[in-house]
Amino acid sequence: MKSQGDIASANLVMFVRTLRSSGFAVTTTTTQHLVEAVALVGMHRGSDVREAFRAVVVTRRSQNQRFDAIFEQFFSGDFVITLDDVVDRLAERKPVHRAPRIGATSAEETEDTEDRDDVVDVVGGSASERLMDVDFADLSDDEAASVAALLANMTWSPSSVASRRWQPASNGELPDLRRTLRMLTGPRGDLMPLAFSERRPRQRPLIVIADISGSMERYSEMLLHFIHGAQYKFSSVEAFVFATRLTRITRQLRARNPSDALERVARTVLDWSGGTRIGEAIGAFNRDWLRRVGSGGPIVLVVSDGWDTGDPNQLALEMRRLGRSVHRVVWLNPLAGHEGFTTTARGMAAALPYVDDLLAGGTARNLVDLIDLLQTSRNRQRSIAAR
Amino acid sequence: MSFPTTVDDLDAALVECGYIPERSLTVSIHLAIQMGRPLFVEGEPGVGKTEIAKVLATMSGGELIRLQCYEGLDASHALYEWDYARQMLAIRLLEARDDEVDVHDIMSEEYLIARPLLQAIRRSSEGLPTVLLIDELDRADEEFEAYLLELLSDFQITIPEIGTVQASTPPVVVITSNRTREIHDAVKRRCIYHWIDYPTVEREIEILHKKAPETSRTLSAELAVAMQKLREFDLFKPPGVAETIDWAKALQVLGEVELSSDVVDATLGVIVKYEEDMQTVRTAGTNALV
Repeated sequence: MKSQGDIASANLVMFVRTLRSSGFAVTTTTTQHLVEAVALVGMHRGSDVREAFRAVVVTRRSQNQRFDAIFEQFFSGDFVITLDDVVDRLAERKPVHRAPRIGATSAEETEDTEDRDDVVDVVGGSASERLMDVDFADLSDDEAASVAALLANMTWSPSSVASRRWQPASNGELPDLRRTLRMLTGPRGDLMPLAFSERRPRQRPLIVIADISGSMERYSEMLLHFIHGAQYKFSSVEAFVFATRLTRITRQLRARNPSDALERVARTVLDWSGGTRIGEAIGAFNRDWLRRVGSGGPIVLVVSDGWDTGDPNQLALEMRRLGRSVHRVVWLNPLAGHEGFTTTARGMAAALPYVDDLLAGGTARNLVDLIDLLQTSRNRQRSIAAR
Repeated sequence: MSFPTTVDDLDAALVECGYIPERSLTVSIHLAIQMGRPLFVEGEPGVGKTEIAKVLATMSGGELIRLQCYEGLDASHALYEWDYARQMLAIRLLEARDDEVDVHDIMSEEYLIARPLLQAIRRSSEGLPTVLLIDELDRADEEFEAYLLELLSDFQITIPEIGTVQASTPPVVVITSNRTREIHDAVKRRCIYHWIDYPTVEREIEILHKKAPETSRTLSAELAVAMQKLREFDLFKPPGVAETIDWAKALQVLGEVELSSDVVDATLGVIVKYEEDMQTVRTAGTNALV
């Protein structure tokens, strides 16, 4: 027979799961913190408990409403734990409330795993292996969620360049006089020791400009999942989307949880799936943003199928300007992996001369190629995937 | 060191020194000086950001100390550095004479190289009027901003071997940025912020009158109007006030007293510095500017 304390803990575990499935970034330690919080404020006043839980769980102002809704539903108004209630809930074994989600990633798959960080493992080896080669447009919603999780959690690190800052190194390029002098103050023989320093490596910034017009919807969604994961690997990631208008989504993408991030992006961007004016979008980027975010020799990733309803001359002009202002322009085209792909789409043909790399971007496997490029971009030749 | 104590007086003094400010800028400068806070100015290149510091130095009769920022700028180039070569020589010398080497012998003022930030704090601590210009902060990397934080809030620098130098009356600090990247909030929070826009036609004529006095009023007006039109073109790099002044001087050199389509065409390189932009202007027709 379980004690009332046990049941209360079980109840909290359920509460945490409910939160997690609604997109809160909570872990098993959250449960412990909740238990401690209840112990500290007591269970007599529901409002106190609610505020204590909020303090533990909520990390952003925007989460407050969602938290309240879940709390309300889970504890049915007054916070009185009745044994029957808890037993019933345990018997049901399912969360009472589930918020609607966009671009689902972690809910169902992680239902029974306590740690939500290892989502990749949940996607069975062979299954994920198969999904690697499926075109994003052909994925079912469930499969898309698995692939998105896969993309967001890949382990890799971007290549670096030498910065203009120096750091101590045993075999560096330049004597470090400050450290040399310090070494002189200690006991030594007749030989004067020399300390050296080398250039500290830094990562190149990444700038993503993604097409979200009708033909690109699914591809861009998957790519945004990828970028959401990648932004923690780079020192700086700037993201923009366009169909007819260019919108900066860097801030929206910062949300810790990918579903949250995409939801915010969706709210910010007004022209999901309109027509495409690539030239105008790149032009707007050059004019309004290049100077502000283009320092530090960035890699620019343009994601588009090249179906352009705008003026190809303008596109060529703007791509040329972009190409001269940044370290490298990578064009990711979801169609480039397809049989019989040619670069004759009007926009693609206009932009091609100013693109350093043209890569396919239709499947998860394609994105692995992109990762490979970002990892080794330092000494890479220009690479055009298809002609 | 004395700055005018009212906004009107400051405005007059700025004009006196050859700087024609927008009223809002005068107010920001006034606040920065009177509150002892740094002035953070952002704006397109060539709108007169750096000039503010120069004018303030002239006005106060003090010295302008300039720190030009660049990627990789670190404490040893901004604050201070020890003169290692001389220190090592000194150690050798003392050893050769079989003297005991004491830390204080080689870690003294004598071997310290003061860089701009330390120079500015020192001068102010001696009560000398000083204007510190930290130019193009956006060119420095983010790590450098952290060095500035202590300086901007306390106006003091600590050198472990020597001690703390503190400015009793803070120097006037002007920080400029071309906005090639966002400066961290922590820096901005400590400053009075001002965004300098392109001037109105009237103000640009005034500026020309001050900066290129040989240019006739009519030509000044023509140039200012042409510039206004040019900035409405979709240019990659719209010209700033500095370009207008250059233009006036260029026409002076050529002996032109009137702005014609041919003159614009011949001198386009003075005001527009990108090939694509030149094409844009030529396609639109240079007589559109006249």
